[in-house]
Amino acid sequence: MSRAVAEVRVGAVAYHPRIVTIWETFLEHFAREGIATDYVLYSNYERLVDAVLNGDVEIGWHTNTAFVALEQQLGGEGRILGMRDVDAEFATVIVTRRDAALDGVQSLAGRRLALGSRDSGHAAILPLHYLAEQGLDAVSECELVRFDTDLGKHGDTGDSELRVIRAVSEGAADAGALGETTLAAFRAERVPAVADLEVAWRSPTYYHCNFTALPSLDDELAERWREALLVMSYDDPSMRQAMTLEGVKRWLPGDRSGYQALAEAMANPSLGA
Amino acid sequence: MSARRLHAGELELGGGLEVLLAAALAGMAVGERLEVLTSSRSTARELHGWARLAGHQPVGEQVPSGGPYLVEIERGPFARVLAEPLPGRTSGPPLRGGELHTADLRAAVDVPAVADAAGGFAPLGAIAERGAPAFAWTLNERDTIWADDVAELAEETSAGQWDASRDIPWEAARGLPDFMEQAVSQVMTFIAQNEYAALYVPAAFLANINPRYPEMLMWLAGHVHDEARHVEVFTKRSLIGGQASYALASTELSLHTLLEERDFSGAALLLNVLGEGTFLDLLRFVEQHAPDAATRTAATLAHRDEVRHVHFGISHVRRRITTDPDQQAALVDAAERRATKLTQMSGLSPLLTEGLTLMAAGSLQPAELSSGAAAVRELMQTMEDNRIRRLQAAGFDPRTAQHLSDLHTPNLM
Repeated sequence: MSRAVAEVRVGAVAYHPRIVTIWETFLEHFAREGIATDYVLYSNYERLVDAVLNGDVEIGWHTNTAFVALEQQLGGEGRILGMRDVDAEFATVIVTRRDAALDGVQSLAGRRLALGSRDSGHAAILPLHYLAEQGLDAVSECELVRFDTDLGKHGDTGDSELRVIRAVSEGAADAGALGETTLAAFRAERVPAVADLEVAWRSPTYYHCNFTALPSLDDELAERWREALLVMSYDDPSMRQAMTLEGVKRWLPGDRSGYQALAEAMANPSLGA
Repeated sequence: MSARRLHAGELELGGGLEVLLAAALAGMAVGERLEVLTSSRSTARELHGWARLAGHQPVGEQVPSGGPYLVEIERGPFARVLAEPLPGRTSGPPLRGGELHTADLRAAVDVPAVADAAGGFAPLGAIAERGAPAFAWTLNERDTIWADDVAELAEETSAGQWDASRDIPWEAARGLPDFMEQAVSQVMTFIAQNEYAALYVPAAFLANINPRYPEMLMWLAGHVHDEARHVEVFTKRSLIGGQASYALASTELSLHTLLEERDFSGAALLLNVLGEGTFLDLLRFVEQHAPDAATRTAATLAHRDEVRHVHFGISHVRRRITTDPDQQAALVDAAERRATKLTQMSGLSPLLTEGLTLMAAGSLQPAELSSGAAAVRELMQTMEDNRIRRLQAAGFDPRTAQHLSDLHTPNLM
């Protein structure tokens, strides 16, 4: 069947060429599951959110920041259709140089704190939010060193986090925030800049990306698409590579419970996001 | 479910701890829990992200002030490799006086009769992971390519390597009189020209062999390597005296038809049994009548390699005919097909016959030339006798062997 007559169009942000590989493979899965799906790529999440709101696509593959922005613009609740296993328990860590001997929130007061792209939930907005919640107003009490690269992609490229760890490693910052799975990936890849870094603080966990549709999406269609997503298996040889590229081993149904902190943070102009 | 415990000490993620974690979790059942004890607060914080990225679930932690810190990880359901579990460890293949021979890597019964045409490069004993791209090998049946002693032959090939730059006393080839240098150069050029074909034929099959038959790959690669060195050594011998010679069109015609044979067994008959078999006698002749030690050594060393190639051909053809008697007619057909393309060839080029005669004569004196000519006539008879003997060894009856020998190219290869 031609994709031009797909039942569901999924919008995603093209933050890397591999997005095409991922979605070309995912579409084969949805076709096998009997729900013809197509994908449409956008260069940034703001445009993707607009596309979902305008009905140009039925589903958006959103970062947590994009999801919260969508609901703010919608003035109501979006319909969450699924998330990755890693999205369900995301956390931000703050790394410091081993020899700096910093530990815990208060030790960061008066220090230079490196942050990733200001539209990244995990590398900028949420660390500021949680630090404030735990008693450190980093905007006023720290010297923020921001790496606002790839704006519009909400930190997906990982570029700003790489700059954060380099800044800390080279002494241009005393501490730096990044996603904990990003740090784990840097460690696994033996990225030299993380060798001398340790984790001084770990945030509470929160949700990250999700597939969101408007509440007006047909219930039966939404349910069929969600079921097709959830049966995608990491043990399926034809899917493993694409799932690895997407950073998912298992799709979860997803729910709203992990976005409250980010919604609060994005409603708070003092966090400087 | 009970938990196992891993004492990480001061080991960190990215610094070797992940090796211990992977080993511990690999031996655990899905859902089983691993308690990781670490003296580093930082590592304890990082273990959550590591576990989730690796497909496991962090399920708890204890953070007493001053440590040690404990993070509990539940083993996830995902296999790291999409394949059957590895079989238990065995005692491994046997050694022969400390040597590990290719023939001992697996029993003959374990050589698969048919191999998956789409299969990849899984070495012997390895378990192939699912999800690899499909290949499209064309030589996937043991009986169409195999020889029972192919592993031993590959072994001998490795052991028999020599160096065409250093193992030949090149100095000895200098200073021959012009008439002799012309004769030797022409003979050497002829041999080198034929060795090209002996390289291209196995090389064309090599890349089509299913990787499940690594013994065949080793054999053919060794065969190709041998021939590359033969091209090298005979080219060098033709050049060392400074005397150019001709690459003859009649030889090209013969070799062109040899490369047209696309069936592995047909090529083994035409190249290994008939062509290289006949060359064994030619190389022995060159060895006996070489005017210098360099030429003699080159012929001796090349002859040693060719013995293996001929042995393979006989062994393979005999096995092929035995396992599938219909193949005998197909092989005769291959020889007849080639012969019809060579009807315009009348005999060995006079340049070759004269060159060999001069080498055997050793001078331009009439008496010696006469005995040289007799030696070449004797060589032709020896070649025919031995061809028939080899064809019979390969499984052909005497009449068919005579027929096939008669069809053989006047170019010798």
